[in-house]
Order: sequence, then C-alpha cells, then structure tokens
Amino acid sequence: MFPKKSPKVTIDYAKCGEHGKVDPRDCTKCMKACDPAIFIIHEPVGVEQDPIDPKQWRITAVWTSLCNKCLKCVEVCPEKAISVSWS
Amino acid sequence: MCQWCMKHGAGGKWYMNAKNYSNELADSLLAREYLTEQWRNFENIYIRKIMGFSSIDLGYKLQMPIIGKLLKWNAEKMIHSDSKNRKAVRGDGHFGQVIPLEDAKVILGNLAAEPIIENYCMCRWMQRGIKECCCINFGQLSGVIEKLPRFIPQNLQYKISREEAIERIEKHNKRGYIASVWFQPVPYINAICSCENPECGGMRLRSDFGLHTVYKSEYAIKVNPDKCQACGMCVQKCQFGSLKLVPSLKRVIVDPMKCWGCGICRHACKHDALEIVPRESIPGLRGIY
Ligand code: SF4
Ligand code: SF4
Ligand code: SF4
Repeated sequence: MFPKKSPKVTIDYAKCGEHGKVDPRDCTKCMKACDPAIFIIHEPVGVEQDPIDPKQWRITAVWTSLCNKCLKCVEVCPEKAISVSWS
Repeated sequence: MCQWCMKHGAGGKWYMNAKNYSNELADSLLAREYLTEQWRNFENIYIRKIMGFSSIDLGYKLQMPIIGKLLKWNAEKMIHSDSKNRKAVRGDGHFGQVIPLEDAKVILGNLAAEPIIENYCMCRWMQRGIKECCCINFGQLSGVIEKLPRFIPQNLQYKISREEAIERIEKHNKRGYIASVWFQPVPYINAICSCENPECGGMRLRSDFGLHTVYKSEYAIKVNPDKCQACGMCVQKCQFGSLKLVPSLKRVIVDPMKCWGCGICRHACKHDALEIVPRESIPGLRGIY
C-alpha cells in the first residue's frame, strides 16, 4: 500500500522568488506563521551566482507531510503567492 | 557512551577527546575545503537531489514500500560517513549530540581551537527566516564562515574570547536553547550550537523522521519527588514534551524515552528538584541515544 499523500503547498515564484516582485529574504512571513515550520529559504539549485554573497533566493515547502492544513501561510502572505491543497 | 565514543573517544566521550579539535586532524581531513563547500551551499541541503531524491516531502518518501527503507539506510550512511569521498554539499559526516551546559563550558574553556566566533544560526535562518546570533564556531570553521556575509552579525562583535563564549552559551542555555556539539566532518569538532526543536535542521530530521543526525545527550533527567512542588515551571521549558505535571500526584513526571538530557528544564526549577544523571545509569535507557 502506498502511504497517504501529503498536502500540496506551492509558492508562485512569479510573485515571490528570484524573479518575483518580492525578495523572500525581506518577508519570510510564511516561515514564521507555519507552526510545524515546513518551509525552507534557499538559493535556487543550478543557478550560477556569487558563491560568497548570493542574491537570488526562493522559499520551498519541504516538510509537507507535517502540514496541518491550518492555512495560516495563505492568510499571512502579502503577495497571495501560496496555495495549499489536499485530497 | 555511544558508538562514536568507542571510535573517537579515546576511552571517554567523543567530544572530550582533545585530538578531535586539532588543526592537524582538520588538515588531514581537508576540512577547510569541505567546510567551504558545505557552508556556501548550506540552505540547499534539503533541496538538492541525492541519488535521484531530494528531501522535499521526505515524510511521504520514507513511508514508501522498499524505497523508504532504502532511502533511510542510505541517509544514515551519508550522515555518519567517514569515507574519503564524502560530499560536503550534502553534509556527509556531519552530525552531533546534545550536551548539558556543564559539558559545553568545558569544551569552550579548554578544548575548542581558536579563533572562536559567534554567528547567525543557519538553521533558524533556513527554517524560520530568523537571524539570531547564537552559533559558536571555532577552529578552521571560523575562517570559512567569516567570508560569508549572510552569517555574520551586524552591529555585534562576532570574534569572541573563550570567556565570552562561555558567557554567551550560558545566556542562551538559560533562555531555553539546547546546547549541542558537532562533527563537521567526523571526527573533527568545530561547533557548539544553541538549538530549538524543530528549528534546528538536525533535530528536525531526528525528531520528525527518525534519522540519527543528532544523538541524545549522555544524560537524562531525574525528578526528586520530595523536592518537587508541582509548580510546573519546568514543563514549559522542555522542547521535547518529556515532562508532565500530574496535579493529583502533586509532582512532575518524566517520559524517559522523550527526554534528550539537555538539562534545560533545570534552569526553571526554583526548588532544586531536577538533576541530570548519566543515561547509562537508567536501565531502560542504556544504549539508547
Ligand atoms: S497550511 Fe498551515 S501547516 Fe500547512 S504550510 Fe501553511 S501554515 Fe504551515
Ligand atoms: S509570505 Fe508570501 S511574499 Fe512573504 S516570503 Fe512567503 S511566499 Fe513570499
Ligand atoms: S526533560 Fe529532558 S529533554 Fe526535557 S528539558 Fe529536561 S533534560 Fe531536556
């Protein structure tokens, strides 16, 4: 038997991310609002940039199996960039 | 004593062996190159694909039939790797153990190789977007972190003396942050952190996914029932939910399997009812780290 699917938590990188309107480093509201702390802020993998002081960042929902579907991240995001769904 | 004490402890605890702090050891492990690569890529560790899998939705992947078991076996092997070709970007050979304040002070006072710095905690940054200066790093790691502006605190002195390091670890511990000591890469020791659970990347993998990135301390808590006044102050301090106030008993009880032996709860007790005892002295906890 396959395990239960985790909720799907996605961030629209056109709104918040390395090419988005918002630099996630200046916000991080979702990361602080999420009780189980499922988000990670990181440099996009495979993008060439200054290894000492990288300027491009994005947030990924990594520990999605721990998401408790409270939707606080959706509420707190000023850019309406986050969506959470589950089946 | 855990298996790492047997291997790298010279008859005692692994983190009390002076050899594991030496520059010669660091050089022989090419630690500077390892640490540079690891720290430049720090926040990417869970995003990168390793053998086709990243940590994204690890909880689901670990539950998958067959693949889950293989992933776990492979992850444990990487975490504890001491092979020559370990990869820094995925943190091969990087793991640690919780320690009580007393042991942290001995390390910072006597064993840690200079220079010592205190920088922003990379885990709290990566997992919460918070920049807090509470990670004490030393030896060859200091020079590596100094070159990365995102970890260096603004408006705060980050190069610190042994005495300052001891003062700071004491302050963090009393605030409720758990002291931990780290191999990076095993057996070279160069960091003492002040962690929160699950904000610490290592504790996250251990407490939520059962991977041995951090070991429980060499101690466990013991409540003195005669001294406990049932105020419950310690209960709020424990980050692992190990303590519970039982009103009818008029005292606090411990779940020994949940206790990591960090000793943080002691700071909250005004009645001297809590002490840490060697883990091995509690029959049910022998060998459980
Ligand atoms: S729905 Fe709640 S638990 Fe899930 S990611 Fe958003 S804030 Fe976190
Ligand atoms: S709350 Fe929205 S805008 Fe802010 S960092 Fe998170 S995704 Fe980006
Ligand atoms: S009960 Fe154990 S894990 Fe909890 S604070 Fe006390 S020593 Fe730490």
